[in-house]
Amino acid sequence: MATMKFMCDAERCIECNGCVTACKNANEVEWGVQRRRVVTLNDGEPSEVSISVACMHCDDAPCIAVCPTETLFQRDDGIVLHDKDLCIGCGYCLYACPFGAPQFPKQNAFGERGKMDKCTFCAGGPAETKEEEYQKYGANRIAEGKLPLCAEMCSTKALLAGDAQEVADIFRQRVVQRGHKDGGWSGNPRADADSLAYDATQQG
Amino acid sequence: MRLTPRSDTPRAGGLGISRRQFLKRSGATTGGLAAAGFMGAPMMQRTEADEKTAWSDAPVETRRTVCSHCSVGCGVYAEVQEGVWTRQEPAFDHPINRGAHCAKGASLRQHGHSSRRLKYPMKLVGGEWQRLSWEDAIEEIGSKVLELTEANGPDSIYWLGSAKFSNEQAYLMRKFAALAGTNNTDHQARICHSTTVAGVANTWGYGAMTNSLNDIQNSKSIMFIGSNPTEAHPVAMQHILLAKERSQAHIIVVDPRFTRTAAKADSYVRIRPGSDVAFIWGLLWHIFENGWEDQEYIDQRVYAMDEVRDEVAQFPPDVVENITGVSEEAMLDTARRLAENRPGCVVWCMGGTQHTTGNNNTRAYCILELALGNIGKSGGGANIFRGHDNVQGATDLGLMSHSLPGYYGLAEGAWKHWARVWDLDYEWLKGRFDQAEYADGQPMNSSGITVSRWIDGVLEQEEDISQRTRLKAMFYWGHAVNSQTRGPEMQKAMQQLEMMVIVDPYPTVAGVMHDRQDGVYLLPAATQFETYGSVTATNRSIQWRDKVIEPLFESKPDHEIMYLLARKLGFGDELVKNFEMNGDEPLVEDITREFNAGMWTVGYTGQSPERLKAHQQNWHTFSFRDLRAEGGPADGDYYGLPWPCWGTAEMGHPGTPILYDTSKKVSEGGLTFRARFGIERDGENILADGSFSEGSELEDGYPEFTDAMLKDLGWWDDLTEEEKAEAEGKNWKTDLSGGIQRVAIAHECAPFGNAKARCNVWTFPDPIPKHREPLYTSRRDLVADYPTWDDVASHYRLPTLYKTIQEKDVTGDYPIILTSGRLVEYEGGGEETRSMSWLAELQQEMFVEINPALANDLAIAEGDMVWVEGAEGGRVRVKALVTPRVAREVVFMPFHFGGMFQGESLHDRYPEGSAPYVLGEAANTATTYGYDSVTQMQETKCTLCRIEKAS
Amino acid sequence: MSKSTPWQALWRLPLLVLALVASLGLAQVALAQADPDREAATAVPALDADAWRQIKSGETGPNYRDSRFDSDYNLINASGETWRQLRERWVSPFGVIAVVGMIVVIALFYLVVGRKKLDEPRTGRKLLRWSLVVRSLHWTVASLFILLALTGLNLAYGKAVFRPIFGDGFWAAMMSGTKLIHNYLGPLFGILLVILLLRLLAHNIPRKHDLDWFAKGGGLVGKEHPDAGFANAGEKVWYWLLATAGIAVIVSGLVLDFPNYGQARDTMQWANIIHAVGAFGLTAVALGHIYIGTLGTEGSFEGMATGYVDETWAKEHHNLWYEEVKDQAIPEEQLTAGRAHPQGDEPAPRSG
Repeated sequence: MATMKFMCDAERCIECNGCVTACKNANEVEWGVQRRRVVTLNDGEPSEVSISVACMHCDDAPCIAVCPTETLFQRDDGIVLHDKDLCIGCGYCLYACPFGAPQFPKQNAFGERGKMDKCTFCAGGPAETKEEEYQKYGANRIAEGKLPLCAEMCSTKALLAGDAQEVADIFRQRVVQRGHKDGGWSGNPRADADSLAYDATQQG
Repeated sequence: MRLTPRSDTPRAGGLGISRRQFLKRSGATTGGLAAAGFMGAPMMQRTEADEKTAWSDAPVETRRTVCSHCSVGCGVYAEVQEGVWTRQEPAFDHPINRGAHCAKGASLRQHGHSSRRLKYPMKLVGGEWQRLSWEDAIEEIGSKVLELTEANGPDSIYWLGSAKFSNEQAYLMRKFAALAGTNNTDHQARICHSTTVAGVANTWGYGAMTNSLNDIQNSKSIMFIGSNPTEAHPVAMQHILLAKERSQAHIIVVDPRFTRTAAKADSYVRIRPGSDVAFIWGLLWHIFENGWEDQEYIDQRVYAMDEVRDEVAQFPPDVVENITGVSEEAMLDTARRLAENRPGCVVWCMGGTQHTTGNNNTRAYCILELALGNIGKSGGGANIFRGHDNVQGATDLGLMSHSLPGYYGLAEGAWKHWARVWDLDYEWLKGRFDQAEYADGQPMNSSGITVSRWIDGVLEQEEDISQRTRLKAMFYWGHAVNSQTRGPEMQKAMQQLEMMVIVDPYPTVAGVMHDRQDGVYLLPAATQFETYGSVTATNRSIQWRDKVIEPLFESKPDHEIMYLLARKLGFGDELVKNFEMNGDEPLVEDITREFNAGMWTVGYTGQSPERLKAHQQNWHTFSFRDLRAEGGPADGDYYGLPWPCWGTAEMGHPGTPILYDTSKKVSEGGLTFRARFGIERDGENILADGSFSEGSELEDGYPEFTDAMLKDLGWWDDLTEEEKAEAEGKNWKTDLSGGIQRVAIAHECAPFGNAKARCNVWTFPDPIPKHREPLYTSRRDLVADYPTWDDVASHYRLPTLYKTIQEKDVTGDYPIILTSGRLVEYEGGGEETRSMSWLAELQQEMFVEINPALANDLAIAEGDMVWVEGAEGGRVRVKALVTPRVAREVVFMPFHFGGMFQGESLHDRYPEGSAPYVLGEAANTATTYGYDSVTQMQETKCTLCRIEKAS
Repeated sequence: MSKSTPWQALWRLPLLVLALVASLGLAQVALAQADPDREAATAVPALDADAWRQIKSGETGPNYRDSRFDSDYNLINASGETWRQLRERWVSPFGVIAVVGMIVVIALFYLVVGRKKLDEPRTGRKLLRWSLVVRSLHWTVASLFILLALTGLNLAYGKAVFRPIFGDGFWAAMMSGTKLIHNYLGPLFGILLVILLLRLLAHNIPRKHDLDWFAKGGGLVGKEHPDAGFANAGEKVWYWLLATAGIAVIVSGLVLDFPNYGQARDTMQWANIIHAVGAFGLTAVALGHIYIGTLGTEGSFEGMATGYVDETWAKEHHNLWYEEVKDQAIPEEQLTAGRAHPQGDEPAPRSG
């Protein structure tokens, strides 16, 4: 069974925020909630670097551990989903998450946060009908054999998504290539420039 | 812990609107607005409350379109269900973007759902917006135009067009202005890359990007000067980073700002704004000093490099360091990287062009590339990234005050050529114009007022304008006035006009900043997703767009509005003479065919609608590496038939992927430098010397092809009888049969000749580019040695000031250099992108970047509100962003904001429900006078200001 | 890069932080075999030690930007894992041990020691001990406390118990009801508790004889009742527990309950730990308080129920107070007859 993961190649990320709006496009998350965000360290300094972050669909996910209502759960393919019917908006997942992924539409008095929302790896969530699923969680691209739109639309293919092993392979090859003149790609089927095989978004 | 409660939704930047209003607005952010269009206005309230696009099981229709935000030309799959744009899928098979998008492209679908659109025709009556029917609107506007034309002549109306038009619409707009009897028409290329087009075309023939984004993958060095693709052309970075990763290309960023591109570069060089020529001469000094120039290339293909050597000798390292602020080591290092890593390309954008000396800058970049022998080679080139999605096409199709389509100019021959294409009587056409003679000559043959200076066309003394009267009415047909300098004066000009007509999908800043009570009309135009047609990407590839959805609300496609107005103005039949009509809408393909029939100069003749559609339907057959189709219906073609695509469509020329590339046959996309400037200069031959394109039967330089030349060469009989009849007395540009081009290419010769590129443009104010200090310079000590030009009495019909401005020393009051640029989330004036909630959410406030040291000097902290006051008194109230991105003496503002004016919100001046989500001060309210000496490009990249903390 | 798949190792929790920036981390190892200089220049130009330190410190430096408007989150929530471990490993077990342990202890105590009966027979004369206001306050606070304790326990442990029993539909409603009750009644509890504490402050000033009371284990050691004023030392301990830990629970609860003041995630993590530890502790102690006030001691409950206690009870448990107020004793009959009079609202005579 594949284990789905994201990886952001910081060497390629140019902070164009394409992933952020691609996510909005796929999932129509409301104003104020960004399932994916791009952070930039040392902005404007020679060491400037940007990384796109969302739910990383952790193996041992802290959010699942701390949720008092078992809103969060992990599928067999590693995708961590949430059941909005169960969420009470306590915020514990937000305290625990290493990546600031869970967000709430509100921040009101008496802990009125509304239902937690986070990246679904474009895999929707529990619902009776497709319509309900779309309204509650946004797109279910995984069910259609597609990958998350953020990674598919990444402007420089910095953001990779897909089976962890594949993603790691791609990244490893990129790294080798960056060091060698012809390294990594020689004799490798991925070496063809026209092939997007080096791009994780084509796999899945 | 913060003790002030924060609202659950982010505050909107500086609007002073209540949370309830805000929630109401954000409620409308995403949803099913397409449906609203069909339901009509009364349903708006209910549909605005919708949060998401309704989910649908209906069959999905997939349309192929192209992003409308920048000139990279990213392909998009738009999925439509029951007429509503419900999904957007990445086009992995598209040869330019491979599915990739930046923030703007990735949110493209919201174009089908934006509720902030202008919904129906409106007019301002007593300060209130009133709804109007289309019939009444055309009737009222048309009558006023006729009345003003009667009283003041056709030149009193200004037809300001758009780089957002499709090629067909841009072409039709230029034809429209011609038939209206004026050259007072222009579009944003004037304030974007006009200095590039002029400078580069005058150097080697065509003023366009020589190579392609894809070809940058083959570069060994890439120098960005005044260009920031990570924000302005993010998807281009895909190719650039591939070059960096695959071939270890050196990326060099030269900019006053440490841009996001610089963060990805191998080397960053900070220069003082406005010192580009000195910087390039500094590089060439090292190149010549070390003998790194490509002498064989220069001997064969470049004219007057020796004159450049003389000029460059004036720029030894210490002089360069004094002017640019770059040390000798950094200059040498940069020169070495360029010299040792060939082929390399130079990329420039607004940072190089938007200067009073823009034409000098662009020519200096070209000369650098010529010296290194990089032009006409894969991996080399002058890769000029254009701005708007179709600014290249609109420029090619002549939506400019100084030329007819195809850069034919305004001379009598040009008019006669187009009269033949249009099937109109030349004398009738001539009769449409004001026949009087002014300082610049007869209006029909003299360049009209430019978009950069319509303000002066309204405000200038009537006797100093080279036409009958001042401008009395303005049509802003897809234009963001906040992208233009001198905000306060612009407002004054707007108040003096008798009529303002804004034709746009959005009300735009022009609709709200005028402070008028009446005489303003708003006409809702459809976006490019609500019509179809062709669009030219920055690499000259022409792409076909499908219509994704029907026009929203009551908007109409631009070409239909043009016809409606033309009909009212009395030249409707002439305008659409060659077009099949679908009601009031001319058939788009017929417009394409009409310009195919006349655009011989730049080779827009082979791109028939059928060929373009075939390319569009077969994206997957084109190579990501060199754009060439392998197999499929377009086998052997380059994607989008990048112009010049010579001859007729039947000839099947594959397009020219790399300009001036002599390693290919002309019939396969090869080319030589154009013989545009004669055959000799001061007795010296300026045709190519021993250089010719692959397979050429003429193995040396040769002039452009004419009927006489064919006869001399003995190739005349290669023409068919019909071609002979047409070609007699014509040349490659005016032979409507295409026979001359066909025969030239049959002999593998370039129809436009084979000459040298020239470093000396003897028709320009500075034949060899010179460093000249900006009009508002902070380096008063350099003014004596590098002064600007003398004032010009009439240029593009208007007096233009240089010395008068520069002589005044304002550095006491305005010590800080002000420059401007882009943000990735917004585009142009930003009215459209700020109306997209997915984008607006990312940049909610206008800001000014200030170096930490300067901020300390001024006692300003991050997040403080400050007043930035330009050297001519325009003031903007913006938030301080303290960052080392800018140098200590420079501040930077993004120019996409609008809807606030000198501290005042214009929110309530928008027609109800149409204000963008984010409003902010327009950077250009604070920018100042200054226009290029060749093209009237505005100066936005280097002026002076002062900054005070706002109370 | 080692041959083994990086994912197995990287995605272990303690290394989550690493995983995010694996893009950078991986690069370093992989390129070691290539050209190290080139790698330093291109593979990970930005992630120097300082940057790492900054990420891991949880601070956002001056040139840190986030595409989320108005966000003050760092790249990595450095304390999230600490919070989770504290909560899962320590606080949750502690709560179970404290509450269940206390129940067990009380049960054992009851079985072994039994109910503490009055040594002397009742006199039938009553002394006013708790005014109506105090009783109302007490019972409101007590009810709220119980409600908050139950809902709090449900939030902490409910998922292990009730979801399997009730099924998702009822469980979802139950949990959201639980959270609503907890969040809305919590602040009310806080206010009333503070009022009650102020009202009873004077009775609960520590005295010298309280030490003696402790020495005698509140009477468990030896036959004699130790000296006690209005409040004995044990009650004072309960009072001061509420006045310290209780206030801490209330304040931390408010921090959690009002996220609209923009408190940082880290602040809320600490508030949550304080709140949980304090609340579990108080719940456990409250069980003792409830036992003593009801089952454990004859005559105590009627004091808080009716306001009056028997003279004998007062003499035995609060001898010093009894000395002060013994002349105010009222016969029981008179008390029942005089219910109509608003006498009950009179404040109890104070000991000092």
